[in-house]
Amino acid sequence: MSRKPGSTSASAGAPAISTEDMCPVCKTMRYLNKDMEFLINPECYHSMCVNCVNRLFNDGPNQCPYAGCHRTLRRKGFRSAFFGDLAVEREVDIRRRVAAVFNQVEDDFETLDDYNNYLQMVEDLTFDLVNGSDARRRQAEATLQQWEAEHRAEIERNRRAGRDADDAARRRIAAEREAARQRRVDALREAEQEKLDRARSREAELDSLASAGPDSASRVQLKRRGGQVAAQRALDAAVGAAEAASGGASGGGGAGGASGVGGASDVGRLSIRGLKEKKKPAASEGPYDPFGGLEFTPSRYRVLPGVHTHPGIEKYKSDPAHVTGGYDFDDYTARAMFEAFAGLAVFVEDEKEVGVGLSASEVTAISAGIAAVGDKMDLD
Amino acid sequence: MATEDARYRQTSQYQLWSFSPAQLAAMRETTNAAARARIAERLSYSQPPSAAASSTNTPDPSGSTPAPGPQLPEFLTPAEEAQLVAFFTSELLRAGDHAEMSDEIKATAAVFFRRFYVTNSIMTYPPQDMLIVALFFGCKAEGSFVSISEFGRTFGKEHPEEILAGEFLLCQGLRFALDVKHPFRALRGAIMELATLPDIDPARLGAAEARAREILRFSPLITDAYFHFTPSQIMLAALSLADRALAERFITKTFHYVAPPSAADNSSGPGTPVPDSGGGGGTPAPSKKSRSGEDNKAEVIGSQVRDKVLGAIEACRDMLSRELPERREHWTNKAVIKAQIAPLRKKLKACRDPDRWNLVELQRRRREQAARNVDSEDEDGGRSGKGSLDADAAVFGEPLGAAKRRKVEGGRDGKGGGGLGDPFGPPL
Repeated sequence: MSRKPGSTSASAGAPAISTEDMCPVCKTMRYLNKDMEFLINPECYHSMCVNCVNRLFNDGPNQCPYAGCHRTLRRKGFRSAFFGDLAVEREVDIRRRVAAVFNQVEDDFETLDDYNNYLQMVEDLTFDLVNGSDARRRQAEATLQQWEAEHRAEIERNRRAGRDADDAARRRIAAEREAARQRRVDALREAEQEKLDRARSREAELDSLASAGPDSASRVQLKRRGGQVAAQRALDAAVGAAEAASGGASGGGGAGGASGVGGASDVGRLSIRGLKEKKKPAASEGPYDPFGGLEFTPSRYRVLPGVHTHPGIEKYKSDPAHVTGGYDFDDYTARAMFEAFAGLAVFVEDEKEVGVGLSASEVTAISAGIAAVGDKMDLD
Repeated sequence: MATEDARYRQTSQYQLWSFSPAQLAAMRETTNAAARARIAERLSYSQPPSAAASSTNTPDPSGSTPAPGPQLPEFLTPAEEAQLVAFFTSELLRAGDHAEMSDEIKATAAVFFRRFYVTNSIMTYPPQDMLIVALFFGCKAEGSFVSISEFGRTFGKEHPEEILAGEFLLCQGLRFALDVKHPFRALRGAIMELATLPDIDPARLGAAEARAREILRFSPLITDAYFHFTPSQIMLAALSLADRALAERFITKTFHYVAPPSAADNSSGPGTPVPDSGGGGGTPAPSKKSRSGEDNKAEVIGSQVRDKVLGAIEACRDMLSRELPERREHWTNKAVIKAQIAPLRKKLKACRDPDRWNLVELQRRRREQAARNVDSEDEDGGRSGKGSLDADAAVFGEPLGAAKRRKVEGGRDGKGGGGLGDPFGPPL
């Protein structure tokens, strides 16, 4: 929603942006009070400083001090504005409120069109609330309240579903982060272990060399190789375990997602057009077809690679210059056959004059038929 | 619908360059009328009423002064234009023979040439130059890349610019549709198909193919066959001129499907399995559309379609038989040229477009104008949008010249372009 700040403030009842440095009620300057803070009340979005609020509303509800504003405000309703432009602040409040009531999601609708119509309806209503005329605003307000009253249960369910989905997502992210941390720790520990193992085996080797005679060096070599094989086996086992763990994690994630969808889909029947009763499985579109559905199986002929041949190409079949390069004579045959039959029943004159699939004589016959029918209808 | 036909309908030859005879005639009329009006305007523009004053302020780009005396020369009629285009097509084919080009290149160049002169008048751009350009561009379109200097030497052109100047112009005139579907390979395919039949003598096939190829090299190129018929129809028409029985055999073999008696409306009795062989008026259409597969088959290879195809091929055959290869000599016969072509060329010389006749000069001026446009854009930022618009329009054939002249032509352009309904604006 892009609109110029303050352009419709008169009709919306909100004031133009007040200067940041002076309270419009008591005219206290920021110069005199460094900690001056402005509060607004969402009833009328007139801003005033904390002192004024305390002074005016500590004794219970009171009228807004702005000239011409007859709203009754309470101390409890005051808060500090998030946006500098109070028109924006008001719009955001209204949108938040509308969004809390109209909280259907795309999955609740049969088609995208229906969803878009719904969004359009909500946006129109919001616009009326934000900057419609008084009558429209009142009407939109009434609609909103009526909707809220009638569909309290659905709204609540959707809200809960949304919250559940958020929670599930948060939990999943946290679990993934935890798993990643765990993996890092494991890897560190493994590296440490490996280093230790290597040092130990080296020591053992040196010891055995020192204790045994020089003739046993080859045996040591063999033994060492055996140790390596064992280490490799251990590594494989570790990889397998990691894969199993990750598989489990992803399966858990999938289950979480499914439960979220299920929560969102069990919505009751609403009167918005196009809301679907239950989620339909999405039809698979198949792979992308670069030829736009054009068919390539010949319908008037069959290519018989061995049979269809021509004396003109026979001599090339043994010509190294052609054969070595991988020239495919069957391709040539297929192409020549295609060209012999392509467009055989394309009648340019008829098609360019009246369109594909009709001949000029047929068209005149059809139009004559239409005319005849028309006459009959006139008679009736 | 047959898949082969659907594929052919995707080609630019079908989508942009196939017309019914009436449409083609209308387009030629429109082109001729537009050229007349424009040339008349240019002649009066470059030749002020005071004929005594030599036109020093408006230098004639072609270097030759138009015939003085009566203000406007006699223009060519569409029929005369068509005859001249046919003559220059035969010249083009002869030039291709001289340069020893392949059949495909010559055919592509000839089709380019003829297509170009559908939306451009022969009075506007010089056919002698354009036929060389078409040959050169045909070489490139068929994947045979010759060097321009070598190519120019073959045709006695000293400067490559003389050929290159018309190249983009030709492309515009072709609406950038550079793929021409020829019947030559189709002929091979048909011969292959016929060779599978057991009772056909290979020698007869060979003779028929040679003759049909001879016809395809000349007849469809010099007539309008490429505009009105598909390559396979042209091929079958040529084959039928060479050996009628073979062509008919091919068609009956292809469209052999006969609706089964159960699907056909046989009120005579269910026990008679005698299907109408379609020799006469064709089988009656099945009244009950119970089997869509059968219907589809009848639509693709049924006898009704066969009769229609035979009709189209007969029409094409008529067209080709008017320009059999023996007529090559007709187009080079000195007596014929003197009697028919020479007067037309004389007339053409008198009424040609003074601004466009010299392609090199034309291109030079276009470049200059483009450069000027860029300069003015740099100077004047506010009008840059219009400038670039003009530049874009120039790509698609906006006439060059003073802005005033463009304004004068604006209204007429709208009408001419609307009549052709083509996406690239009015004829050049």
